[in-house]
Amino acid sequence: MGPARRRVRRPESAISFCLLAVLLFIGLGVFIKQSDFEMARFGINVATAELPLGESEESKDDQTALNSLVPTGFETLSKTGVYNPENLYEKINGKAPLYTESGFEKLSTQRYVSTADESLWAELYVYDMGTVKNAFSVYSVQRRAEAEPFGPMRFAYRTANALYLVHGKYYVELVGSTESAELFRAMAEVTRKIRANLTIDPNAGIAELALFPEEDFVAGSVKLYLVNAFGSEGLTDTFTARYKLDDETVAAFLSRRSDPQDAQAVAKGYYEFLINNGATSKQTAKKILEGKVVDFYGTTEIVFDTGPFVAGIHEAENQQAAEKLAERLLNKLREVINSANNE
Amino acid sequence: MNEQIDKELDRREFLARAGKAGISIAAAGIASYLLYDSTGPAASIEAQDPVTLPDFSVPQIPAQTMSVVKGYDRAKTVDKAIELLGGIERFVKLGETVAIKPNVAFASPPMLGATTRPELVAEVVRLCYSRAGAKQVYVTDNPINDPASCFALSGIGKAAGQAGAKVILPKDNFFKYTTLTGGKLIRNWPIFYEPFTKIDKLIGIAPVKHHHRSGASMTMKNWYGLLGGRRNIFHQDINTIIAELAMMVKPTLVILDGTQVMMTNGPTGGSISDLRRVDTLIASCDMVAADSYGCGLLGLKVTDLPYLTKAHEAGAGTTDFQSLKPILATVS
Repeated sequence: MGPARRRVRRPESAISFCLLAVLLFIGLGVFIKQSDFEMARFGINVATAELPLGESEESKDDQTALNSLVPTGFETLSKTGVYNPENLYEKINGKAPLYTESGFEKLSTQRYVSTADESLWAELYVYDMGTVKNAFSVYSVQRRAEAEPFGPMRFAYRTANALYLVHGKYYVELVGSTESAELFRAMAEVTRKIRANLTIDPNAGIAELALFPEEDFVAGSVKLYLVNAFGSEGLTDTFTARYKLDDETVAAFLSRRSDPQDAQAVAKGYYEFLINNGATSKQTAKKILEGKVVDFYGTTEIVFDTGPFVAGIHEAENQQAAEKLAERLLNKLREVINSANNE
Repeated sequence: MNEQIDKELDRREFLARAGKAGISIAAAGIASYLLYDSTGPAASIEAQDPVTLPDFSVPQIPAQTMSVVKGYDRAKTVDKAIELLGGIERFVKLGETVAIKPNVAFASPPMLGATTRPELVAEVVRLCYSRAGAKQVYVTDNPINDPASCFALSGIGKAAGQAGAKVILPKDNFFKYTTLTGGKLIRNWPIFYEPFTKIDKLIGIAPVKHHHRSGASMTMKNWYGLLGGRRNIFHQDINTIIAELAMMVKPTLVILDGTQVMMTNGPTGGSISDLRRVDTLIASCDMVAADSYGCGLLGLKVTDLPYLTKAHEAGAGTTDFQSLKPILATVS
């Protein structure tokens, strides 16, 4: 015989209902107040909030550092601007979240103008992103399609009027007022001075870049998404790279996780994310990819884990090319894992 | 059976438990009472009478609400676009005072497309004076960057001045508090107000730009410049704030410049390669319709920009721009 069910007495029921009613009342109150939220009254003090000030107060160190970069034949056009995560929007408005969500610490800006022609001016933006990885992330996701390689640096490119580069933990932009050979010479001189004057950690690097297979790799195509890669919350620190194989452009991705269990969980999470958003399982001729290939609205997605890595193929038009690249990527990652185990 | 249950919880024990529960509730109540701030957070501002922006719109004329002109020369395309809507005289009467609100958000050179092109502003100023006989034309904005630098480096200050307009830069006393009726975000919030008390008509001129947060920046987003205070907090609910701006501002006319469209890396851009020539300029009395057309220039659908539907539902205009029978033309 099991334990006897205790009879609930009327006063107990009444008290319980009263408590539930109070909780419901509180919940309702919070809900109503929440939907009646007035930002000017709660959360922010408009009276003390400054109207946009433009250039924020510069620190002497930043001013000295940026003034030391003035190219020959140019002079500073304005005060050094220094921005922190709180006021970055004053400088770049709606683009600020891109940086603040990627570890941004400080932006220093300076404009240089030609002493011979005032229409020739350039603005220097030095973003301190905290780590080389963060700097690479904002550099890579904004990389222009028409980019041309620039200088001896690994992560640097130019467009018709601008230069973009990663120098250690710094992401640097030099934006010219117009297309001009003289202006470009001056901007190139600034980048040389940055490399000479701005101290960085020489050992800081991005190990994941060496994990992508080299064959058919499209140079300069690697991007790093620190959060929400492909719209999936679980996919963080995700590198993507483009390949040109069999006349098809295919994008591979990989993310190094803390351990194999985490990698397994993230791979499973992303697979389920795809299925929950309309993907369907797809047959594959390659045994090692069984159960890892899905059709996502006419494109092929592949996701797998091996060791501490989550990797795969994103939105490929051609399944054969996608599987070929996935196999190469899987083999490359296994090699890396094996050689690490043998060390 | 009941006797057995009663043995499990007798009267003494029930009273003891009820007493403990009562003490807990009383303690929570006392703590709440002591911590309760009956006045709430301090009012952030001195009590002021809220202001409301006047309605600058003109009566709509069927099939003359929106025009779309193809061409690269902005002076020519804007002339044609306004002419197709009945000419500038329909919008600005003799002796009236006009404010033009370009996008001067950044201290950025004109060729980068982050701001309204100066020649376009100058041409509209010229039309207001020479064709409509306006008494005074103001060009104004409340930029994010230093206003003087923005007007200087964007070229708008010089172009507007040369065309005879007076440039008004924001000052602290130009801001007044407003509350948008039915608004969720614009409540007791400072707006750039003073220059708009002196005018009869308001014309917005904005470029078509990709925007990292909202997807696109066009004529509706252009009114973001009227917000004062720490307006960046509205980026957390960007679609609602843009829709509310469309409800708050009732312009006479908007001009959407898609001659060169910033396709990526907006709203600042930075590289010429962020721009693409689309050679399209839109003039419209309905900014929701103008932006609904404009999003197509960025390769987007109306549903990709939720603020368009929100503004449509709020009655600020229509996303169904085809229903307005836009007048199409091309200029060489």
